[in-house]
Amino acid sequence: MADKNQLRVRLVTPDRILVDQTADSVEVPSSSGYLEVLYGHAPLLAELAPGEVRLHAGVRHESHRFSVARGFVEVLPERVTILAESAMKPEEIDLAAAQKELDHGHKLWSEAGDDAEKYAHANEIIREAESRLESNKEH
Amino acid sequence: MANVLDLRRRIRSVKNTRQITKAMKMVSAAKLRRAQERAIASRPYSAMLASVIESLKRRIEIIDPLTGEVRHPLLKTRKEKRVLIIVISGDKGFAGAFNSNIIKATMHFLDRNADKEIDVEAIGRKGRDLFHRRYPSAKFLEASEEDPRVRGQRQRAARIEVTGDHPHLLEKLSFERAREVGEEVVARYVHEETDAVYIVYNEFKSVIQQRVVVERILPIIEIGKHEIAAVEEMTPEERAEAGRAAITAGVTVEPGEREADIREFEDEAKKFGTSEVDYIYEESAASIFNDVLPRYITSQLYHAMLESVAAEHAARMTAMDSATNNASEMIDALTLTMNRVRQAAITKEIIEIVSGAAAI
Repeated sequence: MADKNQLRVRLVTPDRILVDQTADSVEVPSSSGYLEVLYGHAPLLAELAPGEVRLHAGVRHESHRFSVARGFVEVLPERVTILAESAMKPEEIDLAAAQKELDHGHKLWSEAGDDAEKYAHANEIIREAESRLESNKEH
Repeated sequence: MANVLDLRRRIRSVKNTRQITKAMKMVSAAKLRRAQERAIASRPYSAMLASVIESLKRRIEIIDPLTGEVRHPLLKTRKEKRVLIIVISGDKGFAGAFNSNIIKATMHFLDRNADKEIDVEAIGRKGRDLFHRRYPSAKFLEASEEDPRVRGQRQRAARIEVTGDHPHLLEKLSFERAREVGEEVVARYVHEETDAVYIVYNEFKSVIQQRVVVERILPIIEIGKHEIAAVEEMTPEERAEAGRAAITAGVTVEPGEREADIREFEDEAKKFGTSEVDYIYEESAASIFNDVLPRYITSQLYHAMLESVAAEHAARMTAMDSATNNASEMIDALTLTMNRVRQAAITKEIIEIVSGAAAI
């Protein structure tokens, strides 16, 4: 870890500090698409979209993945802090629960009628569940 | 006077009681440790959230310069005509005055706001039971049985009504469940079903530092600051009692090493998003701001619940400790009486024998 050009990455959820380590780079799902952060990135503040945070670290470029949803990311040149209301490792994902969420979302979506707020809510649930399922599949 | 056999039976029964209260105390102590850790672990998140809002607030115009109105619905203050109060009590009894303190504080609140329409949302079984007995439930048109989230027009029948309960929320407290409550509360405020939201809960700083507070969470006036409407501190006796209970149960009163770690992190967390650099915003600062505000409410609610759970265990531990002490005292007193009765019987017999011998 003598390498100076390392990012300090933190992933914080309401329950615990999930990750606090250094990494070479980190991929973050922002609401307008994935972005990869390297050391020295310009300060940035963005909203998270449901998706995966990927940490790349070490000589062998091993990567850690976390399925996240609802939160923010703050990027500073030497530090990345991710605040997420929900974050878990792909292997922790409960497939049945995610599938149920997805069905629930679809049901809400078809029942939403012409209420924009309900549509948005349903879409959010669907996206989240889909991202979770996806993340587990890759695992 | 009671005979020796009766006294011996009493002693045995009190000993059994003492064993149970002692076991309950140790169980509460273990649960308290876990709850305390969870409450502490959730602090960095809320601190970061608060600081990000704080920094965003400086960068955007909250008040529309044209109309002079506040831009975000959660920041808007209205005249308090309809109030929602969220009561966080415990699920179980045997916790000393824990539940009654919460209920008392709520009752005071209801009395003070006699001119307003009040909705009560009860979290925790004890509070729910009481308020359901006392006040009617809110009625909604076309409410469906299978999905309580679907409900139609509200029909208010009484001034104080119970709008909902969440009896098993605290048992297995998770952020997900708290979020459901938080989102509902926010929706109700945004749709102007209520003009202010208060929570009543037991704040937990440490085993010997707890208080019942009534706090206003909506509208948001100042971020990162608790707006406390009423407060009830522990009395010095209660504090001493709690301290004693904690020591005998092996729970630390002083912040531990782990807590120091978190505190350091917390200090850093306060700087989150506040660097004096110009951030690139993926979306506009205003849009991030609008998204973060409801999350802030949820995080506050979640935090209150975590603290309340910790406080409940602490209260139960203290109550069970004093019950154990009382049982010990009672056993001592009964043993003394028993010995005295036995001795009296022996003395009496000796006198009888001696005087009988003397008579011959």
